[in-house]
Amino acid sequence: MKESDPIVFVVDDDAAVRDAVKRLIASVGLRVEAFGSTHEFLGGKRPDAPACLVLDVRLPDASGLELQRELSVAGIHIPIIFITGHADVPMTVQAMKAGAVEFLTKPFRGQELLDAIQEAIAKDRLAWNERAQMKELRARYDSLTAREKEVLQLVASGLLNKQIGAELGTSELTIKTHRGRVMQKMFAESLADLVRMFERLKPSVVIPKQSGPPSGS
Amino acid sequence: MSVTASTPETHWPKSRTVRIGLALSLVGLALGLTVLLQSVVSTAGYIFFYAAVLASAWFAGPWSGWVAVILSALAVQYFFIPPIHSFGVSREFLPVFIEFAASSAVVGWFSSWRKQAEAELRYARDELQIRVDERTAELRHTNEQLLGEMAERKRAEEAYYEAQAELARVTRMSAMGALAASISHEVNQPLAAVVTSADACMMWLSSEPPNLEEARAAVECIAQQGTRASDVIRHIRAMFTKRTPERTRVQINELIRDVTALIEAAALRNQVAVETELADGLPDTIGDRVQLQQVIVNLMLNGIEAMSNVTDRPRRLVIRSEMRNPDEVLVGVEDSGVGIAPEDEKRIFDAFFTTKDQGMGMGLSISQSVIEAHGGRLWATRNSDYGSTLQFALPTDRHSTP
Repeated sequence: MKESDPIVFVVDDDAAVRDAVKRLIASVGLRVEAFGSTHEFLGGKRPDAPACLVLDVRLPDASGLELQRELSVAGIHIPIIFITGHADVPMTVQAMKAGAVEFLTKPFRGQELLDAIQEAIAKDRLAWNERAQMKELRARYDSLTAREKEVLQLVASGLLNKQIGAELGTSELTIKTHRGRVMQKMFAESLADLVRMFERLKPSVVIPKQSGPPSGS
Repeated sequence: MSVTASTPETHWPKSRTVRIGLALSLVGLALGLTVLLQSVVSTAGYIFFYAAVLASAWFAGPWSGWVAVILSALAVQYFFIPPIHSFGVSREFLPVFIEFAASSAVVGWFSSWRKQAEAELRYARDELQIRVDERTAELRHTNEQLLGEMAERKRAEEAYYEAQAELARVTRMSAMGALAASISHEVNQPLAAVVTSADACMMWLSSEPPNLEEARAAVECIAQQGTRASDVIRHIRAMFTKRTPERTRVQINELIRDVTALIEAAALRNQVAVETELADGLPDTIGDRVQLQQVIVNLMLNGIEAMSNVTDRPRRLVIRSEMRNPDEVLVGVEDSGVGIAPEDEKRIFDAFFTTKDQGMGMGLSISQSVIEAHGGRLWATRNSDYGSTLQFALPTDRHSTP
């Protein structure tokens, strides 16, 4: 199995239920990892792949609802399917409001759980793709030199090479070279493509300060 | 109604003129009559004057009596005592005059005294009557107050019993609720594993090629979890039957009498007449007094409740004991209630089966287990007219193993 294959995490303190759920999920060819407590789950290494969490509400260390809150606070957005011995209405409402995909009462039919898992993984795959793209983009941006980042920013703001050259105190030709390298490093197919990439990056990168023309040249 | 008697009332005229007038006219009448009589009989005597004095004293009081005495004396002396037509009295007739004057004075005094005495007597009698009326009224009032207080107390008592019963029911229900939640969790866990494993097994079997090893592991899990669920149930049962039932000699009639006293209030409240028909000389049975008591209470309360909607016939609950055969004592509880619907007949002893709004459906089920634990049987029959009879048979002493 590849690193990026979808994975299902199961957290249930009851070994029998945990094993049965694990066996069921494995039967449809999904990767599955099971934990006996929220603590174990948080301590474990999570592969970078679309994922979902099958979570028992009643757990010995911290309840499933607490874990849901904790993950949300920590910025870990993983779709959660709750399973419980007996669900009361307020509990269900709370879980669904906090973004749970499904709330299943034990004993549930295998197909119900598998359907919920498919739905959760599909949802997370979109988010995961988004995350992967951003990560790739960040890596490309980080490979730029400081001067190239400056050029990228000015290009994106709509200035011509000549204007950029004046701005940075260098020749139009030099700017043209920088610009070519930026296009190459960012894997941009056109100027429009490059501008779009920069717009996506903008909220998450520190825009370098305008260094201005080097003094004395 | 406070009526106070006035001072002794003799009904003598208040006005002095009337009193003197009365004396005057009576004496005048007496004079006329005496004169009239004297023209027929030579010696008539003074009977009319006595009468006038008597009447004056009687009708107008002692004062007017004395006036009548003086007037009579004057009239007699003037008209009849010689010398006639003069106020002088001849010597020989002086004793006659004095005798007349004295006797008329006595008559007058006696008459007014009698009248006075009679008036006082009447007054005393009226006074007594009023007092008696007053006391009677007071007593009646106190009596009414007492009756009111008694009714009030009875109502309060009933309300208290009802509140107590409600509390007991609520406590029982919430305890049952907590217990049920705990049991359902304990049982649901293995059941969840069983259902999930069964589904997983199906999936592994239908994959291409079938993964028999995984399927086998899943089935293994199913078997294990099935056992686990039954262990949970066994533990619960053990928890409830931890108390070993007592085995003592039980006189069934005594037990019935105790229970009848216990449920008297409930019967009264529901306007149910409880009758006991207990056979004499029943042999003892061996068992747990408290448990058997609970069974009888339960059957009787069921009977009472079955009659709560009955209005067209007497609500009658009969509890009877009899010798069924030399080895068995039979206890029957017969009601005139709604009876058991034919479709319910087979289910009334099932746990959680109930026809009552707030019933738990445990009463008859538990009762049956208790009776069976005592080596007996509990069953229901439909009465020929109304309602049903719940009865149980218990082995007598010599067949029980103490």
